[in-house]
Amino acid sequence: MQRKRKLVSAVIFLCSLHLAILLAGFVAPTDPTAQNRDFPFAPPTRIHFVDAQGHFHLRPFVYESASSPDGLYQYHDLHEHEYPVHLFVRGSEYKFAGLLTCQVHLFGVDAPAQIFLAGTDTYGRDQFSRILYGGQMSVAAGVLATGISLLLGLVVGCIAGYYGSWIDESVMRLAELFLVLPWLYLLLAVRTFLPLHITPAATFFLLIAVIGTIGWARPARLIRGVVLSARSRKYVAASRGFGASDFHILRRHVLPHTYGLLLTQAVLLAPQYIIAEVTLSFFGLGAGEPMPSWGSLLANLQHYNVMVSYWWMFAPALALVLVSFGYLAVANVFHEQLQSGSI
Amino acid sequence: MMRYLERRLVHSVLLLVGVSLSCFLLTGLAPGSFFDEMKLNPQISPGTVAALRSEYGLDQPLPWRYGRWMKSVLRGEWGYSFAYNSPVKNLLVVRACNTLLLTSLAMIVAWLLAVPLGVWIANRSGRWQDRVSMAGTSLLFAVPELVLALGLLYLVVRTHVLPAGGMTSAEFERLGLWAKIRDLAAHLVVPTTVLVLGSLPILIRHVRGSMIEVLQAPFVQAARAHGIGRTRLLFRYALPAAANPLISLFGLSVAGLLSGSLLVEVITGWPGLGPLLLEASMSRDFYLVTGVVMASTFFMVIGSLLADVMLVVVDPRVWTD
Amino acid sequence: MGIEPAVQRAVKPALVKAGRLCKRYVQRAPFSRKKFIVDALVDVDFEIVPGCVTAVVGESGSGKSTLAACLVMLEKPDAGEIWFEGREISRLGHRELAQLRSKIQLVFQDSAGALNPRFSAAEIISEPLMIQRQDSGNQLRTRACELMEEVGLCADWADRHPLEFSGGQRQRLAIARAIALNPSFLILDESLSGLDLSTQAQILNLLLDLQASRGLTYLLISHDLGLVGQFADFVAVMHQGRIVEHGPRQQVLGNPQHEHTRNLLGSVQTLASNFYAAQAGSR
Repeated sequence: MQRKRKLVSAVIFLCSLHLAILLAGFVAPTDPTAQNRDFPFAPPTRIHFVDAQGHFHLRPFVYESASSPDGLYQYHDLHEHEYPVHLFVRGSEYKFAGLLTCQVHLFGVDAPAQIFLAGTDTYGRDQFSRILYGGQMSVAAGVLATGISLLLGLVVGCIAGYYGSWIDESVMRLAELFLVLPWLYLLLAVRTFLPLHITPAATFFLLIAVIGTIGWARPARLIRGVVLSARSRKYVAASRGFGASDFHILRRHVLPHTYGLLLTQAVLLAPQYIIAEVTLSFFGLGAGEPMPSWGSLLANLQHYNVMVSYWWMFAPALALVLVSFGYLAVANVFHEQLQSGSI
Repeated sequence: MMRYLERRLVHSVLLLVGVSLSCFLLTGLAPGSFFDEMKLNPQISPGTVAALRSEYGLDQPLPWRYGRWMKSVLRGEWGYSFAYNSPVKNLLVVRACNTLLLTSLAMIVAWLLAVPLGVWIANRSGRWQDRVSMAGTSLLFAVPELVLALGLLYLVVRTHVLPAGGMTSAEFERLGLWAKIRDLAAHLVVPTTVLVLGSLPILIRHVRGSMIEVLQAPFVQAARAHGIGRTRLLFRYALPAAANPLISLFGLSVAGLLSGSLLVEVITGWPGLGPLLLEASMSRDFYLVTGVVMASTFFMVIGSLLADVMLVVVDPRVWTD
Repeated sequence: MGIEPAVQRAVKPALVKAGRLCKRYVQRAPFSRKKFIVDALVDVDFEIVPGCVTAVVGESGSGKSTLAACLVMLEKPDAGEIWFEGREISRLGHRELAQLRSKIQLVFQDSAGALNPRFSAAEIISEPLMIQRQDSGNQLRTRACELMEEVGLCADWADRHPLEFSGGQRQRLAIARAIALNPSFLILDESLSGLDLSTQAQILNLLLDLQASRGLTYLLISHDLGLVGQFADFVAVMHQGRIVEHGPRQQVLGNPQHEHTRNLLGSVQTLASNFYAAQAGSR
């Protein structure tokens, strides 16, 4: 069916983005921290198919770049030698999943040419690689925070919906408090009250914990609704008549109703949390150097000259929009399916 | 009706108190303070730091500090900022007004655009205009406000059409009244546009959804059968019926708008609560942070109460409580 | 069947006895001072004779379902006592109750709502066994198939889902689940309502067979007087939370003493009630 095709294509799109980010070491041609002091703010390397003599090459190639003497940060191509783009090249070392050391990269060119698909920054670091690695940070933070939110929301929603009375009332009042406040203000306020000078790893987990914990209210409310309606079903009463424990009833009869809701919430919350991490990093409150994050990459744009002259520094924004769009496309299809009742 | 509003008022006050308590609780948990930076400085002796701490009352127990802060609030000072060395209130008032200006304007413009657009799209539901608009709003929704702000700023900076940030130009003080207003308006364009673009997708969707539902109601069909004109039908018959969930949305959208405005203010240099909070956050100026959070909560509450009042006025069913 | 065997059966000690049961429901709208008080049960006394069918009749809201809920220990009465096999059960703790639950079971009216549509027939029937840990794994499935056969369902349908069964078949499924733990006392809460007459007759026959083969005692809650006239040995009439009349069927239906019983009977056409009374007298 058409809807199924839409769902499949949206999911494939999203998964391939995540895959690229997950395999950042493989997809990125260089080390994200490798500096090329000779090429600060180099524009994206142009990929050619037709060389200076007018010959067409099947394999795309690049020219070596050199600084122009006419201005600061001006470059021109040296047309003497073509450097074809190879696939599966041996390049700098990286760790795959933190355990295996690998040297194979998806694509690359032979030295001395370099391929900067998204240009370089002030230290000459390849932006494309930094975007991929930065994606690891931002997307991982967003996804993990989503997990925390959903877990918290599930537990609290189940308890509130199942046991009712004063527990339900007090939890819902608390949820209202969290829902009603502007999230960014809340995030910044909570971030204030946490230590500034801790290791990047600790900051990362702290960030995830804070973003995830603040967002528990919406899933909790929705789950509570589902639990309330499931609890009133007669087969739950029948189960209780057999002496079933609360845990058994929750697990067997109530929980299955929440799966659909959890999935749709996950797809809606993940992009919001990714954006939250990017925003915090943009403000400088993220995990910090040396790990790039899309936020810290975008923070470069706050310098007037960078924003005006070096348009390729907007590339992380494109990555963010693509990921956001991927999630929303999947969410839309879910929404349509829900409305037509097939979930 | 009054009882309902009374209840909402009491509820709002409780909310404000709850938020202030939470802030203080967080303060208590925080393993650090404003003077941490000072402690790292070898030129300042620990004795000085300790003396400063006790002067600001940072070594007292939490309930004592909360009590003192409450008293400060009642006096009208709202606590004391370490970084600026002044009562929080003085810093808050100006900034809060700026944020209020920006967010109210964005709110008004967004709703003024969203309602007619949403109604128009709902009218053409199922046809290509509907599909195109929905695709458009989806696309817009996917672009985070951060990117919108940066993008718009880029455009403005490259084309030199509008001032690229801040609230007023350097010569503001010397301009005549009319010129002042023009200058302010010019500076308002970019931040307001970003906020409006950020809110539009959700608003349009909700207006459209609400209208579609109402357009299927029997009383609307009956009106159509009576031959009532399309425009009149949409705006005089259907829209008031669809208003109920929209007013609730209004109350909720204030929160989103405030969060968005924080970001936009920081990026465009609009001197509102946003940059103030960021600075206070980075320098761990607790009472200032608390003050700003309270101010934002206050705006939230006002927006919510406004929504409640509108609801009561528009929907007679709420009266029978 | 003559009157004598009923009297003989009545001589045995009561299986279930309820003394001065009271249950009140209070509903409070949040943040409001208004309360809605419903007295579902007021001073309810009665006895259930083992091996017989006792019926509780009354209009909607008379407290019949609340009574059933209390007897099955799904609700705790506010006051009064319930004895089961000579043992007071209304104040038992969770663990003692768990053991007792296998003896008293309830069959609901709405079979579609009472059976979780996500599970297969075998899983539904074996759930009580699983909860009470009486069997496990393959044994559960064998037990489930046996029970299905016992209630007249084909064991090949063990993997079908409730909504694939007809109304009558679903009710059989509910009954199979109820008898899985070998109860001695079964409460049928409007279990035959909503079924067409021929299906009702079939289920009725099934229940009678089960009563004979397993020695069950039934409490039938119904507003259908015709059914009661056919099926019950003893009848109790409830009105606004109280039992206003009770006794052997032919006495209550044929010669109603309380005004309310007369009203109830009068709502059925005079001809029909006379017919039933005559039938009752001839059994």
